[in-house]
Amino acid sequence: MSKRPASGGNPYLNLGVLAVVVAVMCLLPLMTSPYYVRVATGVALWAGIALSWNVICGYAGYISFGHVAFFGIGAYTTAILMQPQHDWDFWATLPVAAVIAGAVAALVGWPALRLKGAYFAIATWALAEAVRELTTVVEFTGGSGGLSTPIRADDNFFFYTMLGASAIAYAVCYLLLERSKFGFKVKAVRDNEIAARAQGINTNLVKIQAFMLSAVIPAVLGGINAYWITFINPQSVLNTLITDQLVVMVLVGGLGHAWGPALGAAAMFLLQEQLRVSYGETTAYIIIVGAIVMLIVLFLPDGLVSLGRRARRMRLIRQYLGRARDDLVKTEAPR
Amino acid sequence: MTGLVQALVGGILIGGLYVAISIGFSLSFGVLDVVDLAVGMWVVIGAFAAIVVSEAIGIDAFALLPAVFVVFGIVGWIIAPLIYRVRMSKYALPALMGLAFTFGLATLIRGGLLTVFGYNPRTVPTSLFTGNISIFGITAPMIRVAGFAFAVIATALFLAFLFYTRTGLAIRATAQSKENAGLMGIDVKRISSLVYAIYTGLTAMAGALLGAIYAMTPEVGLRYTLFAFFVVVLAGLGSVVGVMVAGLFLGILQSLVTTYVGANYTLLVVFAVLFVALLLFPQGISRRGIA
Repeated sequence: MSKRPASGGNPYLNLGVLAVVVAVMCLLPLMTSPYYVRVATGVALWAGIALSWNVICGYAGYISFGHVAFFGIGAYTTAILMQPQHDWDFWATLPVAAVIAGAVAALVGWPALRLKGAYFAIATWALAEAVRELTTVVEFTGGSGGLSTPIRADDNFFFYTMLGASAIAYAVCYLLLERSKFGFKVKAVRDNEIAARAQGINTNLVKIQAFMLSAVIPAVLGGINAYWITFINPQSVLNTLITDQLVVMVLVGGLGHAWGPALGAAAMFLLQEQLRVSYGETTAYIIIVGAIVMLIVLFLPDGLVSLGRRARRMRLIRQYLGRARDDLVKTEAPR
Repeated sequence: MTGLVQALVGGILIGGLYVAISIGFSLSFGVLDVVDLAVGMWVVIGAFAAIVVSEAIGIDAFALLPAVFVVFGIVGWIIAPLIYRVRMSKYALPALMGLAFTFGLATLIRGGLLTVFGYNPRTVPTSLFTGNISIFGITAPMIRVAGFAFAVIATALFLAFLFYTRTGLAIRATAQSKENAGLMGIDVKRISSLVYAIYTGLTAMAGALLGAIYAMTPEVGLRYTLFAFFVVVLAGLGSVVGVMVAGLFLGILQSLVTTYVGANYTLLVVFAVLFVALLLFPQGISRRGIA
């Protein structure tokens, strides 16, 4: 039996909580004002992207600082295909966005995932910068001026679409990573790659598959987001701040936990929204994000979910794994 | 033809500064075993510190370089134990957490600089080196020549320290094997702090020089992070000669792209070369690169 997600003991209780959350989310537009529906759409969007980052970082153990590239690729694919001269249907653009993002992920992951995490981290970071530079110099993306998409002023439509997409992403990732052989393979590669290879796992392939899975989700959500916000430019959908937020959301929620990203995304997005309401758009938010990342890494490396009772046991297991695996731990400075 | 030579000379002059940035970066990677993603932010913060202080007290920015080195060395000395603690922590995935930590540091500095200075580009003011210098029909701005000269001197001093002192020997031993260095009585934690302090000081100083040549905004920090990483990937870890060659190559590459293609394509070309290098020499670029 695989490890349970770290949210509590009783599976029926978990299902009950999940059912209540789903019911509240579905009925939300009936209960509150359009403003809160838009906030909830934002939470759903960020929860989905944070989940995708958790797949590559929390499960596969490779930190990606270029996830904004896939978000941007998705947004631009949808926006370009929905331009009057192409005039595609909105739903038809999402699979295209997913395929392009998956292909880019495979292409970048192929050389970079064979290397140590640091190389991958900066290669993806470079990818994000290269994609942003590309969108400003080529013509069909509208340069730094950006693109407009057809306007659809229907908050509930976007709320349900975003919520549905994120929910599907969660279901797929949960089944693939917590309830299937693939999940064991990914975690085996993360915890001890040499042992995993000795077990006959094609580690490079598994890593590339995980990276592709984690690239497809932000691409689809990016596409929906482009239609929702009706105007995109490199500053809005390829901003480095998006990556910053992903990192902080997943770390706050809990790296490598099934529901950590949703928790972290909700907490951080609501915090950001509250700051925006109280103080307006401010770059001071970036300071807060950076400080929270550093504090979490130093004092709460498993995030908010590790405050739960059952999670602490899981942390001990991982602690043991980390100690056994990482020979560097043995070289504590001589006192 | 003159244009080509001109571009090559310009590239080498800038490349010298990239060498100065990357050499400390490479060493701190080797000793701390964490890629410092804040490297570009040390470049930018060094430039901004030089701008603010020289405007406030009216001393030329080039006279402030030693002060920049000392101040940011102290800052690095304070931060290094935190990175060391994260890297050696008992939690799972310490390497990944180390990356996340320096990423948080980079974000913190970027946010701070954006909040204080905004998005406007700033240049380090200096009146010591102005005008152009002309040899054999090749003209180069005086400021770039001066920057190159400073970079060469700083790098040479650093290498002399590394190869001709006992502490330098300890640093090289730690970079090769922390375990064995510890057994030989080297305080690995202290050496890590020292290396990080030297690296931040050197990088901030090179940043002040770069800021006199190119305009700086808090947003360009990422660019220099990528540049430093590019150099280290091409050079291979622990190779001093490699860093020098790769740094000069990066300068020349940037100069050629700017002259013949357009400055907007620099990062695209750098990324393409990086991609090909990772593809062709996953082992060759660095023995430590393989997981």
